[in-house]
Amino acid sequence: MRLKTPEIYSVELSGTEDVGKTDTGDGKEKYRGLKDKRLELKKNHQKEELKKEVDLEDHKLSIKELERKYGTNIVTGLSSTQAAELLARNGPNALTPPKETPEIVKFPQADGAILCWIAYGIQYFNDKSSSLDSVYLGCVLALVVILTGIFAYYQEAKSTNIMASFSKMIPQQALVIRDSEKKTVPAEQLVVGDIVEIKGGDKIPADIRLLSTQGCKVDNSSLTGNLTPSLRTHDNPLEAENPWNKMSTSPVGTATGMVINTGDRTIIGQIASLASGVGHEKTPIAIEIEHFVHIVAGVAVSIGILFFIIAVSMKYYVLDSIIFLIGIIVANVPEGLLATVTVTLSLTAKRMAKKNCLVKNLEAVETLGSTSIICSDKTGTLTQNRMTVAHLWFDNQIFVADTSEDHSNQVFDQSSGTWASLSKIITLCNRAEFRPGQESVPIMKKVVVGDASETALLKFSEVILGDVMEIRKRNRKVAEIPFNSTNKFQLSIHETDDPSDKRFLMVMKGAPERVLEKCSTIMVNGQEQPLDDSTAEAFHTAYMELGGLGERVLGFCHLYLPADKFPETYSFDVDTVNFPTSNLCFVGLLSMIDPPRSTVPDAVTKCRSAGIKVIMVTGDHPITAKAIAKSVGIISANSETVEDIAKRLNIPVEQVSKRDAKAAVVTGMELKDMSPEQLDELLTDYSEIVFARTSPQQKLIIVEGCQRQDAVVAVTGDGVNDSPALKKADIGIAMGIAGSDAAKNAADMVLLDDNFASIVTGVEEGRLIFDNLKKTIAYTLTKNIAELCPFLIYIIAGLPLPIGTITILFIDLGTDIIPSIALAYEKAESDIMNRKPRHKKKDRLVNAPLAIYSYLHIGLMQALGAFVVYFTVYAQEGFRPSALINLRVEWEKDSVNDLEDSYGQEWTQYQRKYLEWTGYTAFFVGIMIQQIADLIIRKTRRNSIFQQGLFRNKVIWVGIASQIIIALILSYGLGSVSALNFTMLRPQYWFVAVPHAILIWVYDEVRKLFIRLYPGSWWDKNMYY
Amino acid sequence: MAKKEKKSFSQCMAEWKLFLYNPTTREFLGRTTKSWGLILLFYLVFYGFLAALFSFTMWAMLQTLNDEVPKYRDQIPSPGLMVFPKPVTALDYSFRVSDPESYRGYVDDLTKFLKSYDLEEQKNLTACPDGALREQKGPTYTACQFPVVSLKGCSGVEDPEFGYSTGNPCILVKMNRIIGLKPQGKPRINCISKGEKTATLSTYPSNGTIDLKYFPYYGKKLHVRYLQPLVAVQVAFNTTSTGKEVTVECKIDGSPNLRNQDDRDKFLGRVVFKITMHA
Repeated sequence: MRLKTPEIYSVELSGTEDVGKTDTGDGKEKYRGLKDKRLELKKNHQKEELKKEVDLEDHKLSIKELERKYGTNIVTGLSSTQAAELLARNGPNALTPPKETPEIVKFPQADGAILCWIAYGIQYFNDKSSSLDSVYLGCVLALVVILTGIFAYYQEAKSTNIMASFSKMIPQQALVIRDSEKKTVPAEQLVVGDIVEIKGGDKIPADIRLLSTQGCKVDNSSLTGNLTPSLRTHDNPLEAENPWNKMSTSPVGTATGMVINTGDRTIIGQIASLASGVGHEKTPIAIEIEHFVHIVAGVAVSIGILFFIIAVSMKYYVLDSIIFLIGIIVANVPEGLLATVTVTLSLTAKRMAKKNCLVKNLEAVETLGSTSIICSDKTGTLTQNRMTVAHLWFDNQIFVADTSEDHSNQVFDQSSGTWASLSKIITLCNRAEFRPGQESVPIMKKVVVGDASETALLKFSEVILGDVMEIRKRNRKVAEIPFNSTNKFQLSIHETDDPSDKRFLMVMKGAPERVLEKCSTIMVNGQEQPLDDSTAEAFHTAYMELGGLGERVLGFCHLYLPADKFPETYSFDVDTVNFPTSNLCFVGLLSMIDPPRSTVPDAVTKCRSAGIKVIMVTGDHPITAKAIAKSVGIISANSETVEDIAKRLNIPVEQVSKRDAKAAVVTGMELKDMSPEQLDELLTDYSEIVFARTSPQQKLIIVEGCQRQDAVVAVTGDGVNDSPALKKADIGIAMGIAGSDAAKNAADMVLLDDNFASIVTGVEEGRLIFDNLKKTIAYTLTKNIAELCPFLIYIIAGLPLPIGTITILFIDLGTDIIPSIALAYEKAESDIMNRKPRHKKKDRLVNAPLAIYSYLHIGLMQALGAFVVYFTVYAQEGFRPSALINLRVEWEKDSVNDLEDSYGQEWTQYQRKYLEWTGYTAFFVGIMIQQIADLIIRKTRRNSIFQQGLFRNKVIWVGIASQIIIALILSYGLGSVSALNFTMLRPQYWFVAVPHAILIWVYDEVRKLFIRLYPGSWWDKNMYY
Repeated sequence: MAKKEKKSFSQCMAEWKLFLYNPTTREFLGRTTKSWGLILLFYLVFYGFLAALFSFTMWAMLQTLNDEVPKYRDQIPSPGLMVFPKPVTALDYSFRVSDPESYRGYVDDLTKFLKSYDLEEQKNLTACPDGALREQKGPTYTACQFPVVSLKGCSGVEDPEFGYSTGNPCILVKMNRIIGLKPQGKPRINCISKGEKTATLSTYPSNGTIDLKYFPYYGKKLHVRYLQPLVAVQVAFNTTSTGKEVTVECKIDGSPNLRNQDDRDKFLGRVVFKITMHA
C-alpha cells in the first residue's frame, strides 16, 4: 500500500493541475456563471441550496479511503509544494468577510437643498444683488441632510458585524505535519489533507477527521446547541462524534486529525454563509416608518405639485413657484422625526438594558412588542442549562428533588437506610471536583471540573450531605473504572470510613438496565432483599416513568467486598478486573434533567395572555423536549398531542382527529418530509408546538414558516447553529451568558441573564414604544398643517409670507424635538400585556384617523390660532387684515420703498422685510404655544389627561420648558441675526394664541370622552387613532 | 421577478377599483353613503364652528385697534426716501432727448403725482408759517399748502415736460410719511452726483430744505389732504463730458433724528438713482 501511494499522488496531482489550469483559463467566466446562477437561485429558490443538510461523508470512510481521497499520508503529511498548490487553489483557511453595502439615506431635503441653490443661481444671474435667503435655506437643508445622514451612518456602524466575530474565532497557529516534519503554521494556511495535532485547550483550526486521540474530548456545543455531546454515530455529521468541526474547542487531551474542509467550506463557514446569506428582514418599525414617510411624502409632493400648478397658472414666476414648492415640501417633511425616533428607541433600549435586555439593533426595540410568535430554544433559555437531580427512586418509591435554582428545599425522606447507602454511592462514585478556591461561592455557583451529570450529582450531594471532598477523603479510593460508552457504567472501590469495618466498598453507577443486570439483591428500607420479578417490575415501572419525563436516569448499586477475600493489602487491578462485578446490591435510581428556570412558566403565561404563541425548537430528544414544554406551560396542562389522545383512547395515531389535539411534538425527521404547505398547516392548526431534534437549517425553515403566517417572529438561541435562524427572525435574541459570539452577533438583542422572562419585559417595552411613537408622530404631524397653510394662503390670497422656511426648520428641529422625545417617557394607558400583538398589516403606526385628526382637526385649529397672532402683529403695526390681501406683489418688490399701510404711513422695502420677520416670529410663537397644548393632549389617546395624571411624566414638562426657552432665545437672543429671520417680539404676542391652545385641549378632551362613552361607535372609529 | 411585479400591479389596480367603488358593501372610496354623509356633516359643523371662532377672535383683535393711529410705530422710526417718477424695476432712468416717447412715461408719472399739488387743489389748505413744527390738537386737523412753484423748473408749471425735452431731467425726492414724526434741526435733502462730475445738480427749493411746518403727520384718516413736502433735483449734464450718465445720491441731512445711514436698509434716509441720457 505504501508503495502504491506515490502513484496515486502523482495521478491526483496532475489531475488537480489540470483542474487548476482550466480554472485559470476560464475562471472568470465560470465565476460569473456561478454567480449568476447563485443570484438566480437566490431569487427563485430563496437560497434553497444553502438550506440543504450539511453533507459530510468523511466520517464514514476508513483512514485508507481518506488518504486516497485527499491524496495525503497520515504519517508524513502533505509536502510543502502540495500544500502551496492546494492553498493557491482553495484559498486560505479563512472565512470570506461579507460585502459591505453602505446605505445612503436619502431625504427629500437633499433635493430641496439642490433646488434652493439652483434657484439662487438663476436669481443671481438675473440680479446680482438678489438676497441670500435661498442660499441660507439651501445651506440649512444641506446641513439637515448631512446631519441626519451622519446620524443614520453612526447607527449603521454600531450595528451587526457578524463576520468579524466569526473570523476572530479562527485560531492563530496550528501544529501540522508536512514533509514528515511537525511545523507550526498560521491556521489560514491549512489545506485539505493536512495532518494536524490538537492539544488540550486548542480551538480546532478547520473541519478535521480524527485519526487518533488520547483522552481527548471536544466541546461541540456551540455548533449543536446540545449540552452533552451525542455519543452515537449519527447520520448528521453535526451530531456524529467524528469528525470534529472547526471552532469547537478541545478541553482535554491530545489528538491527531486530517483536515477535510477549510475556510468557507467548513461547517462553521457554511453556517456563517447561511447566516450572512439570510437577508436581514426589514424590522416592522422600519416598515411602519417607511409607510409613514410614504404618506407624508405623498401629501407633501401632491400638495406641492398642486400648488406649483396653481402658482404657475396664477402667473407667478416659475422660479417663485419652485421656491413655493420647496416651502411646501419643507413644511410637510418632519425633519426632526428620524432623530426623534432614534433617540426614543435608544431611550427604550437603555431602559431595557437595565432589565437585562441588551438591544443591538435599535429598531428591534419595537419588534419585540409586535412579536406574535416566539421560537424559543430549550437549553439555557427555558432551562437552567445545567443538569440537576430531579427524582430519586429507592424503597420502591419515587421522591421528588428540588430543582429550583438554589436546591435549598430538599424535602424527601432522608431517614431510610437505603438513602444512607445511596448517598454514599452518589458521593463516592463520582470523579467531578470543585475547582479549588471557591469557599465563599454558593454551592450552586461553584465551578466544577467534570461532565454535566457528575456535576449535578456532586452539587446534589454537597447540598444534602455537606463537605463531599471530606467524605471522599475519609473513604479513600483504591481503584476506579471510568465511564465509557461500551461498559456504560462507572465503578470505584473505596476504603470505608468506619474504622471497625475493614471491608472495601465497591460502588457503581451507570445505565439502569446495565446496572440491574449486575445485581442479584436490592436494598429496601436499608435491608438487602433478593431481587425477584416483582421488584424488577417495580424497577422497570419507575425507570419508564422517569424516562418518560424526559429525564436521564442512572442506576446505583454497591457491594461490600468480603474482608477475608480482599484484605486491606489487596491490590486491585482494573485491567484484569480481579474483583467481582456481578451479584451486586441494587440501591436506587436517580434521574436528572436540565430543569426549567423558575421564572419561565410565569413568563410563558404572560406571553399567552399577551397573545404571543411560544414554540419550542430544540435539538434535544422529543420526550425531553415535551417534558420541559409541559413543565413550563408551552404545552398547557390540559392539552394533548395526537399521540397522547391515541394512547388515552387506545387507538392508532392515524385514527385520531387532528382537530382534537391542541399540541404537537414534531421531530426534525418528520419536518424533513413536510412540504411548506404542510408546515403552514401545522403552524396554524396547533396552538402549542414543540419541534425536537431539529437542525440549524430546519430552524430556519420553521422561522420562515411562521413568517409566512404574517407573524412577527422572535427567535432565541445561543449556539453557532442558531445564528442563521437568529438572523432570519424578525428579532433574534441571543443568550448573553451561554451564547456564542456568532449567535450574539447574528442577534438583534442579547439577554444578559439568559432568562426567558426578560423577553416578556422586552415585549412590554416594545408595545409601549409603539404606542408612544404613535403619539410622537401625531404630535409631529399636527404642526405640519400650521406650517403648510401659510404657504397656501400666501399663494392664493397674496398675504405677505406668514412664516419662512428657515423658521419652519427651527420648529421642526428646534422647539419640537425635546417634547416629542418626552412622549417616549409616557406610561401605558392600559394593560398593554393583555391585548393581542398588533397585526403587521392592519395595525399601522400611522393610520387614517391619526393622519386626519392631526392634519384636519388639531392642525387646522393650530393654523387658525397662528394666523390670529400673525394678523394681530400686522394690524397693530399698521397693516389691517383687509389691506394685506393681494399685497404680496407690491410687498415683495425691492424697488417699492414707499408702500402705504392702512394709516397712510409709507414703508421702505427693508422696513417691510423686518415686519415680515416679526410676522414669522409671531407665527412661530403661535405654533409653539399651541404645540404645548398639542403635547399635553398627545399624552393619552383614550383616557382623559386627568386620568393619566398631568404631572406623572416629568419629562413632558422638561419638554415644554425647553420649547419656551428655545423660542425665547430665538426671539430675544438671536433676534438680531438677520439670516435666522427672527425678531424680538412684544411680550403680549406670546399670549395671543393661548385661547386657541386651550380650545385644542378642550376639544381633545371631548373627543376622548366620547370615545370612552361610546366604544365602537362611529365617533370611536373615526376619531381614535 | 418581473412576473411577480406584474401580478402585483394588476392586483393593485383591482384593489383600487374596489376602493373606488365596492359594489358588495356599496362603499364609495371606502365609505358608505351614510358614512360619507355623517363625515360631511361633521366637517360642516366643525369647520363652521372654527370659522365662526376665527371670525370672532379676529373681530376681537380688530377692536383693540385705533382707527386713526396704529398701535405701534416702532418698526418705522425713521423715514425712507423715495423718488418720482416711480421706477419700474431698478432706480435707473434712461431716455432719449430726441424721442419724446422714451420719456413720456416719466413725464406722465410726474404730472399725475403733482396733480394733488395743483394750486386749485391746494386752495382750501392752510398757509402755514415756515420754520416750525405744526402740532395740532384736533379734533380737526388741517394740512399745509405746499407751494409747488418752489420746485421752480421742476414744478411742471413752466415746463410741462419737466426738463426731459431739453436734456435737464427732473427727479422728485420725497420723504416717507410716518405718523407723529417730528424732525429735529433743519432737515434738508442733499443730493450729490457720485463718481465723475459729469453733471451739475440743482435742488429746489433751494438747498433742498424741507420745512418743519409739514410735520407731524397725523394719519390718513385725521390728516385729510395732507401734502408731503417735496424736493426736486434737476440734472444738467456738462456739455464737455462725453458720457451723459450720472449716478445721484440724495440723503436727508441736518436732522439728528432722521437717519441716513443703515447697512441693511438702502432707502432709509437716502436714495441712489442713475440717469442715462442719450442724445
